[in-house]
Amino acid sequence: GKTKPGSALQLQVINFNFETVQVTWNSSAYAGINFTFIYKFHTKEEYRPCPDYILQYGYRAGCLLEVQRDGPLYFSIRNGTEPLLTKDLAISTYLKPRSPGALNFQWREEAVTVTCSSLGYNDLQYEIQHKTVFDAEWQSTEAETCNVTIDGLDTEKCYFFRARVKALEFAYGSETYPSDWSEVTYQQRGELRDSCWENSLFPKFILIA
Amino acid sequence: YNFTDCDFKKIKESYRNIIYQELNNYTKGTKAIDFDHFVYCEDQPDCLSKIQSLTFEGRPGCAAPAREAFAVRTHAALAAACPGYRGPQINNTQTMRKIRKRQIKRKECLEQVTYLKELWQRLSRIS
Amino acid sequence: GESGYAENDFDDAELDDYSFSCYSQLEVDGLQHLLTCMFDDSDINSTNLEFEICGALLDVDCLNFNKLQERYFLKTKKFLLIGDSKICVKLEKKNMTCRKVNIVKIVKPEAPFDVRVVYREGANDFVVTFNTSHLQKKYVKVLIHEVAYRQEKNENNWMRVNLTSTKLTLLQRKLQPNAMYEIKVRSIPYANYFEGFWSEWSPSFHFRTPETNGTGETD
Repeated sequence: GKTKPGSALQLQVINFNFETVQVTWNSSAYAGINFTFIYKFHTKEEYRPCPDYILQYGYRAGCLLEVQRDGPLYFSIRNGTEPLLTKDLAISTYLKPRSPGALNFQWREEAVTVTCSSLGYNDLQYEIQHKTVFDAEWQSTEAETCNVTIDGLDTEKCYFFRARVKALEFAYGSETYPSDWSEVTYQQRGELRDSCWENSLFPKFILIA
Repeated sequence: YNFTDCDFKKIKESYRNIIYQELNNYTKGTKAIDFDHFVYCEDQPDCLSKIQSLTFEGRPGCAAPAREAFAVRTHAALAAACPGYRGPQINNTQTMRKIRKRQIKRKECLEQVTYLKELWQRLSRIS
Repeated sequence: GESGYAENDFDDAELDDYSFSCYSQLEVDGLQHLLTCMFDDSDINSTNLEFEICGALLDVDCLNFNKLQERYFLKTKKFLLIGDSKICVKLEKKNMTCRKVNIVKIVKPEAPFDVRVVYREGANDFVVTFNTSHLQKKYVKVLIHEVAYRQEKNENNWMRVNLTSTKLTLLQRKLQPNAMYEIKVRSIPYANYFEGFWSEWSPSFHFRTPETNGTGETD
């Protein structure tokens, strides 16, 4: 999530898998000033200073925080003692899930079930993409658990697979970030391959009507 | 009303498939990051009681979204999933068109409904 | 059992000749939904019979259906889509029979369209694609599509594949070489909130397979 251009401090917040939260600011209007970032996770707590500033051209441009759970974050950005911005937000709104780990493949005739470890929190969409050398685009199959079955495959062909995780909008809002894609995995005849490019033929398409 | 005995799974389904679309429609283009505050709720009953309050009770600058489509549907969802829930009586036969004209979508209402969205999102995640 | 449409909930003994079936189509015309009902007994004299729905409506308590030949239909944005409604058959303002109905549980999707088949010589397969208006809808977005295909000379020997995406690959080696095939698609709601019935079939698409069957052999 990024604040509107033109606001005093252009703010960006990213919640990396409920493990760390990164708050960065672009203070074009305040060149040369070292801001102070203080924060807390509960209204009753005392504000604490940022434990890990992010520097840009030698000046503080952000703060990296360790977080434990899906909850609120209260913070203030100050120029000396003068607060420039005081805000509280739900860190879930800016979630970027971790990329799915190792993918497991279970082939059964012309279908494969792809599984990976769950991220441990709800309302996520696991997207598995696959293609062959004959396909111009990836084809997506999605499910709300990391257990996705893809039908209609040709065991003779070599397939590329990759996966990512998205936060479902009804539960996290529209300002989240999809995870990075996993490594591409190659599979043919139910086995892992190093690549799919060796024996690819040049594809020819004919529209039949 | 104590929301502890509600069927939270049923409420989540109504929210996810119906109410969410209406809230999205109402706050089209508005982003949470543009507001300096948000309303947090700890557990499911707490979330529902705050949802009811923000939906059916007016606040300075925003009379009451109680007659908006998402509010009427919220009332229906709570009535269908919470034993004995009656909630505020929404006069269903008042002509919505006249009321909507008066209720111009002020920034305060957008802010209130954005907070409402975040409460619903939180309720989903913990249900 | 399910007769393809939601049936009466009354005991058989109370089933009279006013029994009816309904299906809903959401966002069928922009934000407008369409509810269609008809009598199960097509020989019924429906001259003075009217349909009315009450409950789970926005802004109003009840709405009346319009009539077109033997079908009663209601086009509106006022369905709450939460909770049950009651549909009654009325004869001069008197309720002849009523039934509890939940609009989101009797959804009949619009038929898929634009079915195409592309033969990929290098890949020895056929890529089947089709379109559905439900991809652009807010509510009923998740469907299961059933693709049915047969060799034209085999009257009833349909092969069927269920999928959630709108693209399917048929392997050349699984089809007869140098043969005419017919292929069509239909859809049904596939989310636990929206339920209902199969759509109508899409228009069929016809294609001929090449001479060889993809393994270099000819039949």
